[in-house]
Amino acid sequence: MEPGLILIPFLVAVLVSWLPGETARRWAHWGIAGVMLALFIWVLALLPTIQAQGPIVLSYTWVEEFDLSVDLYIDGLAALFALLITGIGAGVFLYAGYYLQDDPRKMRFYALLSAFTGSMLGVVLSGNVLLLFICWELTSIFSFTLIGFDGKNQAARAAASQALVITGGGGLALLVGLILLGSASGSFSFSEILSQNLSEHPWYAGITILIMLGSFTKSAQFPFHFWLPGGMTAPTPASAFLHSATMVKAGIYLLARMSPTLADGGLWVTGLTTVGLITMLLGAFTAIRQRDLKGLLAYATVSWLGTLVFLLGLPHGEGYVAAMVGIIGHALYKSPLFMVAGAVDHATGTRIIDKLGGLRKKMPGAAATAILAGLSMAGIIPLLGFVAKEVLLESTLESHNTLFLIAVVASASLTVAAVLIFVWDVFFRPAAAKHEAHDAHEAHDAHHGHASSPLMLVGPGLIAAAGLVTALGLEQLIEPLVALASPGEVSLYLFHGFNTAFMLSLTAVALGVVIFLTRRIWLGWSLTTPLTGTKAYYGFMRGLNGAGDFVLRSQSGKLSHYLAIMLGVVGVLLILPASQYLGSTNLTFTFNGSSDFMKAVLLVLSIAAIIASIRFKGHLLAALALGVAGYAVGGIFLLEPGPDVAMVQILVETLAAVLVIVMLSRISESKRKKAADAIWGSGKNILRRDILVSVLVGLGVGAFAIAAVVNRPMRDTTVPDWYLNNAGQVGVTDVVGAMITDFRGADTMIEIIVFAMAAMGVLTVLYLTRQKTEKSSFQVPASLSQISTPLTRLAATLLLPVAMVIALAHLLYAGSAPGDGFTAGVVGGISVALWYQVFGYGGKRLRRLRPELLIGIGIMLAILNAVAPLLSGGAFLQHNDFGDVPLPAGLHFTSTTLFEIAIFLTVFGSVITMINAITNPEGIEEL
Amino acid sequence: MNTLFAIATGIMFGMGIFQILRRDLIKAAMGFYILFAAVNLLFLSVGAYDGLIAPYVDAAGQTSAQPSDPLVQALILTAIVISFGSYALLLGLIAVTSRRFRTVDSDEVDHLKG
Repeated sequence: MEPGLILIPFLVAVLVSWLPGETARRWAHWGIAGVMLALFIWVLALLPTIQAQGPIVLSYTWVEEFDLSVDLYIDGLAALFALLITGIGAGVFLYAGYYLQDDPRKMRFYALLSAFTGSMLGVVLSGNVLLLFICWELTSIFSFTLIGFDGKNQAARAAASQALVITGGGGLALLVGLILLGSASGSFSFSEILSQNLSEHPWYAGITILIMLGSFTKSAQFPFHFWLPGGMTAPTPASAFLHSATMVKAGIYLLARMSPTLADGGLWVTGLTTVGLITMLLGAFTAIRQRDLKGLLAYATVSWLGTLVFLLGLPHGEGYVAAMVGIIGHALYKSPLFMVAGAVDHATGTRIIDKLGGLRKKMPGAAATAILAGLSMAGIIPLLGFVAKEVLLESTLESHNTLFLIAVVASASLTVAAVLIFVWDVFFRPAAAKHEAHDAHEAHDAHHGHASSPLMLVGPGLIAAAGLVTALGLEQLIEPLVALASPGEVSLYLFHGFNTAFMLSLTAVALGVVIFLTRRIWLGWSLTTPLTGTKAYYGFMRGLNGAGDFVLRSQSGKLSHYLAIMLGVVGVLLILPASQYLGSTNLTFTFNGSSDFMKAVLLVLSIAAIIASIRFKGHLLAALALGVAGYAVGGIFLLEPGPDVAMVQILVETLAAVLVIVMLSRISESKRKKAADAIWGSGKNILRRDILVSVLVGLGVGAFAIAAVVNRPMRDTTVPDWYLNNAGQVGVTDVVGAMITDFRGADTMIEIIVFAMAAMGVLTVLYLTRQKTEKSSFQVPASLSQISTPLTRLAATLLLPVAMVIALAHLLYAGSAPGDGFTAGVVGGISVALWYQVFGYGGKRLRRLRPELLIGIGIMLAILNAVAPLLSGGAFLQHNDFGDVPLPAGLHFTSTTLFEIAIFLTVFGSVITMINAITNPEGIEEL
Repeated sequence: MNTLFAIATGIMFGMGIFQILRRDLIKAAMGFYILFAAVNLLFLSVGAYDGLIAPYVDAAGQTSAQPSDPLVQALILTAIVISFGSYALLLGLIAVTSRRFRTVDSDEVDHLKG
């Protein structure tokens, strides 16, 4: 059941995008708020179980092999956060519906916000560090989409990617930290990890620093704090939700979660208190100098997040309870203040404090909400913020550290001043005091205010009221929850009497008022910091870009350069072992009779022909020379003697030459000539380089070949013998044919499929580019129509049937004579190619020839022929003798015959497809 | 004799590599074809038998003299067909390149250039 807590928000996110109807869309936010409230109640209902039986632990297998599981671990701490997320979420959705009332993108906003809620619930409820990490990253991504929600705004985009880089970078550190943590404790699930104390573990420092990095970036701690004020470009509901109440507290959550395992080490205490205090003071100082309402709130949030980190870092968990109270208190006042800022912006069109004033009468609801939430933020009795400040001061007092105490009081008084600025200057200061726009914030004035629904303030009002209600009912509402989330005893009181903490609190308020009253003086001070986080960030990004440019400059973009480097490396790696081997081997040359002499001659011929094809500038001559080399190789095969191979080699060689020639006819002469002129590369050095690489690789391969020949298995091997002895059993006297169609039949089957795929590949690449170029460049080249003379037409007409008969003969007598399905397919293919060249593609009956169909039938037949024996209990590709069929003499019909037919159809279809696609791309039909 | 084959394989392989390094894409494709031929020759030379007759058997499964090795021949046969398939695909890609980039000089297809 409980996974629903995480999944339902995601489901809502999907459903809300599809919501039809204007009315449904207008009221969608009420629905989503209702869902959030239901989830809130669900979590509440879990509390008694947690109290009675301890944490709820659930585990679902994910990938069994890797021992991965999806775990949930719901204890008091998780429940506390889940309540905040769903509760604040309900208020924020209510508010968002009115804030974005007229925005066409509001459904997208709901979907993103809802998906974020699911991810955030995933972070706090997951019982497994890996699941936690995934959800953690998801919140970063949704935060990115929400900060950059106004994608047309350059500043929003920059702020979004800045936030993503910072939190994502921290996420990477966190991932390493979590994996180390899992390895150190032997388990990735919290129920195991939390029972251990790793402060003596050798990896403790590494784990702690990495987890701190993840938490500090997420929770906007110094020096990573700057992304949060930048993130204020997000729509205000998102700022109120993600960037004050929930996501930025994920880091706090993780620190609190890890404190049983890591908090006993000195590094934890030093790191957290130092960073927390710096962030706390820096945020508070910067907040009061902000002129943008959201900026003020953002820095105040940074300051309070620092306070929470500081509290979690106090030794012996002294600050833990204070941190829990602080988390709740902060969420209940800061998100309403954000929403009020948004409402002010909505109504007046600006968020600049200097332009605002006297809004008390115009916006009484907003003013009331701001006062209520502001009093809580300032820590005035009887609001939850007061309690939070009291326990903060008490915890600090307990640590007996004067420095800590001064810092906390200073930041508390600055916070009071910030509240006064927010509430007084916006709502109570006479509107007449509104003076000219403050210098740098002119840009915010771009849009004008518009009327807003009074219902807009329902959400923030309720949350702010909760700050009062929970404080009044502290012992019933907050104390049990905090007790459940904390390891030790907890007792909270609204009023402790006139003790030291209360006195310090009063001092802070008084100091805050003084700071507020003297604001005219210190606002005039110009404070310039030489290096801010933002500047450092942009400097870093510029450096990264520069490094990228530098790497890019080393890319020549020239294929031959890349190949030369790659092949050169191969050659260098080959040459050492090759030279060693060649030095230790005695080469012996033995010649047996005239056959070997002929082979040597043919070898020399083929090498000479290859040299010629390299030297010829013209492509046609080169292709023909290459054909000669291929025929010579075919001759060598014939002398082996291997008539089957020789026949295939010679036919394929012919086909390859035909293919090159028809392709050449489709590429304009000038283009080819230009490339051919560059035959020796771009200069002498390039040529030397290429020769060096070729010699290196050639020597290496030659040495390998010699080793292979010298060490080849000789007569005593039984493998070829077995084939020779058993060929007769499958009714085939051609042993090579028997191997192709029977012994190694599966190999052949895959081979014809690969061949067909190559044909389809040719078809696809040419089809895809076909529409991109204009028709005019496709006129049939003169060379093609020129060969259509009466003589060639007669030849083609005569040759086609003759070739088909030859193909048929190859096919049917494949078992006992040279030639087989391949040769039949190639012979047929060449004759059809000739036909097309002479008669063109448009005319005559061959148009009906559907090569794709032939390929399909061929492959189907091959597969059926292979699978059929399985049905009668036989083996895959088992030999099957169909006995005597009334057919020409000497023919024996078996399953291998069927296989040959399948090979023929596939190869025939593929060859036609290749030639068609290359020579006549505009004729490719939609398949 | 087979040693000679091995040396020829090395020479042909080197020449194929040289062709592949040409800027002219058509020549480079031909380089691949030379490599295919070289490898097939190597296959042939590592056969177990130096045969006198083609590997055909009579109805009783007997041969009259020493046959050549059928195994390497079957492998070469498959290799020839597959290498033709890849050659055709290469030519198809070159045809596409020539159309899209209006050149068959690989140096002018420099979209990776910094």
